[in-house]
Amino acid sequence: MKRRSAARIAAVSASAGITAGIVNMLGILPLWLYAAVLVLSFPVFIIGLYLWWMAKEGKEDIPFIGY
Amino acid sequence: MIAQLILATFTGLLLLGIHRKVIARIQRRPGPPVWQEILHMLKFSFKSTWIPATASTVLFGGVVLVAIGIWTAAFFVLLTGGSLLVIFGIYMLHKIVEHGFGLSSGSPYGKFGGVRSVISAASEIPLFVSVAAIAIFTRSFDISDIVAYQAVHGPLMFIAFPAAVAMYIVILSKMPFGPFSIVESKELVSGYKTEHFGVWRAGLEVCNGLKTTVLLATFLMVFVGQLPILWLAAGMLLLVVSLSFACALTPMLSPFDSVTVQTLVTGLMLCYGAVLIAGVMA
Repeated sequence: MKRRSAARIAAVSASAGITAGIVNMLGILPLWLYAAVLVLSFPVFIIGLYLWWMAKEGKEDIPFIGY
Repeated sequence: MIAQLILATFTGLLLLGIHRKVIARIQRRPGPPVWQEILHMLKFSFKSTWIPATASTVLFGGVVLVAIGIWTAAFFVLLTGGSLLVIFGIYMLHKIVEHGFGLSSGSPYGKFGGVRSVISAASEIPLFVSVAAIAIFTRSFDISDIVAYQAVHGPLMFIAFPAAVAMYIVILSKMPFGPFSIVESKELVSGYKTEHFGVWRAGLEVCNGLKTTVLLATFLMVFVGQLPILWLAAGMLLLVVSLSFACALTPMLSPFDSVTVQTLVTGLMLCYGAVLIAGVMA
């Protein structure tokens, strides 16, 4: 994944979570829907943020199959 | 809520660091600093990351998202005083997540870890009996109702002591370096998480932090009642230290012994449940 794409994913998911929180506080969004948005957006934000830091765009490795 | 999630993650990781430190001191080793697990999470997030050539691309990354997502949901349920059944449903989902971690990588070590995760599913049955026992007393599965019941009748730890012991063993089975930690034992390198490195492992650490906080806080809310935040933190610390003693003084069981012990606990809990039901019927 390209770093720029990862940054966009992190930004969009963070915006979704924060917006849902604000809209919930204003009483427009029900709690369960806010929870659903957060459950979906928080993991994407975490991984997007980490990938933005360290995404490699090289060739894959083979897995560790023993000494 | 996002700030609370991040705080819960760091709290859980700090408790896991304390867990490692206490185990080390009991075994007369200096051990890592208590913030080691937090450093682990940060360290892995700065490691080079890709998906192994033999891995299932979608499952390999997707399972990390699912792992964080389910414990985010559990944390939300805990905060809102929702149903205990949802939290324990999520606990069961975590088994499937561990299995997914192991199978997605294409590594035999990961696969063995995943398979062990499935065979240790016996550890969940005492949990259901424990939940059923609580419901017999409180007439509800909602954490808010259970907390309200304890405000009137006192802590369930004294009223339903065997159920508390069963849940304690369930939490013990989820602690690293414990007698039941067969899914990540050293003969499997790191078990189901062997191939998840870099960002993926950092994501898994976030999941572990959240999971630890949720399980410990759930135990205290269900068996002690609503506590002020400082008492809750002290209770979680005390619980972790006691779990560390159990982990430090007990060797890791072989997979079959682990399942046998958990099945015995299940049998005892079923007897306890039968006695409770007989009491209600009479």
